[in-house]
Amino acid sequence: MSSLNASLATALSGLMADQGAMATTTNNVANVNTPGYSREEAVLVASDPVVLQPLTFGTGVTLQSVESIRDSILESQIQQQNQGQGQFSALTSALQQTQVNFTTSTNDIGTQITNFFDSINQLSTNPSDLSLRQAVLTAAGNLATGFNNTANNLTQQQQNLDLSVVQTVGQINQLSQQIAQLNGQISNLENVGESAGTFIDQRTQAIDQLSSLVDVSEIPSDNSITLTTGNGAPLVVGQQSFQLQTQPIASGLHDVYSQTGADITRQITSGQLGGTLQARDQEIPAIKTQLDTLASGLVTAVNTVQTGGFDLNGVAGTNLFNPPPVNGVGTAASLSVAITDPSLIAASSDGSVGSNGNTEAMYALGNQGIVAGQSPTNYYSSIVFNVGTDAANASAEQTASGLVLQQLNDQRSAISGVNLDEEAANMVQFQDAYAASAQVVTTINDMMNAVIQMSTLTG
Amino acid sequence: MRVNPNPYPDLLAAVAQTQQEINTDEQQISTGSSVNVPSDNPAAAAILVQNADQTSKDDQFQRSSGSVQSEIQNADSTLSSVITSLQQAISLGVEGANGTLNASDQSALATQIRGIQSQLVSLANLSYQGNYVFSGTATQTAPYSLTPSSPSGVTYAGNTGVNSVTLGDNFTLQTNLPGSQLFSAPGADMFQGIQDLINGLESGQGIAAAVVEVSNASASIDTQRVFYGNALSQITAQQTYLSGETVQLAQQENTVAGADLPNVISNLTTAETSLQATLTTIGQTAHINLFSYLK
Repeated sequence: MSSLNASLATALSGLMADQGAMATTTNNVANVNTPGYSREEAVLVASDPVVLQPLTFGTGVTLQSVESIRDSILESQIQQQNQGQGQFSALTSALQQTQVNFTTSTNDIGTQITNFFDSINQLSTNPSDLSLRQAVLTAAGNLATGFNNTANNLTQQQQNLDLSVVQTVGQINQLSQQIAQLNGQISNLENVGESAGTFIDQRTQAIDQLSSLVDVSEIPSDNSITLTTGNGAPLVVGQQSFQLQTQPIASGLHDVYSQTGADITRQITSGQLGGTLQARDQEIPAIKTQLDTLASGLVTAVNTVQTGGFDLNGVAGTNLFNPPPVNGVGTAASLSVAITDPSLIAASSDGSVGSNGNTEAMYALGNQGIVAGQSPTNYYSSIVFNVGTDAANASAEQTASGLVLQQLNDQRSAISGVNLDEEAANMVQFQDAYAASAQVVTTINDMMNAVIQMSTLTG
Repeated sequence: MRVNPNPYPDLLAAVAQTQQEINTDEQQISTGSSVNVPSDNPAAAAILVQNADQTSKDDQFQRSSGSVQSEIQNADSTLSSVITSLQQAISLGVEGANGTLNASDQSALATQIRGIQSQLVSLANLSYQGNYVFSGTATQTAPYSLTPSSPSGVTYAGNTGVNSVTLGDNFTLQTNLPGSQLFSAPGADMFQGIQDLINGLESGQGIAAAVVEVSNASASIDTQRVFYGNALSQITAQQTYLSGETVQLAQQENTVAGADLPNVISNLTTAETSLQATLTTIGQTAHINLFSYLK
């Protein structure tokens, strides 16, 4: 048979459990706006019953644990998506800057090519006129400057991206350290059976940030997490973090190395670092190569015609532009006009001062396949198309992955986010239960008093 | 089912996106173009590069046509003066061939024709913008000079070169005829005819033959003048064509990249309404939860 004391203990367990549950609700409400916080739930279980033959009595309630509510599969999907989002954001913002160089204006390369050929056409109407010759030299100079500026802007952008690579690696290292520390705190708590929810939230958030910076693979182990880059270079193993390093290479840009010294630059394919490297090492160099092809094709053809004609003094022409390097690399950046004396333009095809035969030949180059089989303007327009397409694609990818990420974050929030209505309802519920348990204690107290008074009467 | 208790990130994302749309619409309205950077429409951006190139080339062809046109007009009217002078010489020659004139009268006529000869040299040495028009491509050299020792009375210092100027994508126009062909062609040599006429009048021999020579030269020049007339009408036709093409290019630019203003403005209005609605939603949902109702 049960006793009043036992009932009192049972009521007390209710009071204790409700206090604990209330603390959980309070904590949830307090953290309603904390980024990365997963709501907690008080797990209440009925205490083990006692058997007093022939009856079995409950012994109240136990607050077994406080659990953070999260979906680890969803979280790893979010981390995955963060990598894409980081990559395409970096790529988009880089290419948005790049394409400004190829936006039609008064001094873009396309306009300068047109102006150059226009000046030659005008010279053709009066080939011995010094002011028209000077106009051709000026247009040639502007064309060279157009190539120089665009190539230099691209190089400058590569250098800025390089700075961002170094900074991003610094952030990655900081986050790795933080995650390794959190791993330690989590396993310390979990090893003694305590809930590490808050630390896990912090770690999840750190991994979210890390995954937007670099492609991360996550290998969960007991109470801990191992993180590697996509190609397997370790970032965090248990409580130890592995620092990535950056070292300048021949071009002056920085490559990324694992802690063991392996160059992993080419293997980093996503995250902000991946996107930045893609812009720095692939997109921009590809555009520079196309500019070099355009510049060297154009310049070589112009020089060939120029040296085949005669200048105003009847002397065989010399190069109009300084000839490009043999392999063409760097032509756009270094392009310059070789002559300053307008009379040296070889307008004449026969040595007579009034002949425009060679001017016409030079003008005709504008419509000839002198740049990889295309006319200079057509080749330039294909560069514009490529740059525009790459920027548009990156931007579309960014938008798409942003939408998926938003969806996933909504799902995570639906599972783990603090809902104030729910917390208010819980609060009322726990308050009522607490009041009820307290009432039970009062009642038992009355019953106790009754028993004591009964003893007094008999005594 | 548990719903997402925190709608704010989504709402803010919607606000950001709507603002982006508003920016894009406003840019399109202010520039009148739907392609402001290549990524707006890469294919259109590439077409615009070619369109701008062609438009600029056409403008240049117009300018070059103008330059060439003035030079050719000058040449043409000079040739007209040449023919007038030759007609005078012929009249004088016919007069001189009349058997009633004595030697002194003929000599006086010869002197008049020497004057015409000088005039013709001066006309044939026409210079336009510092260039001799009838000296072939030796444009810095006066083509003709009076040379009494020469059988034709003059020497030709020009060459036989001709220039052609590109005035359209598939249109190249020859812009000059050298004096050697215009004035000194064998069998139609104007200066030879004039010199023979002078010699004839001074000697009283072969005047009629010399008049025929001058007539032939005059006819030949008149025939060759057609070259300049044709060139001028070709230039006019080309200028008309270029103007038409410029209009077409502007239309193409508008078709490819012109902002569809009614549509853009309607989008802008929609986006602004949507922005207001989203912001209102954010303002209103802010304060409603169960805590507000608990006493």
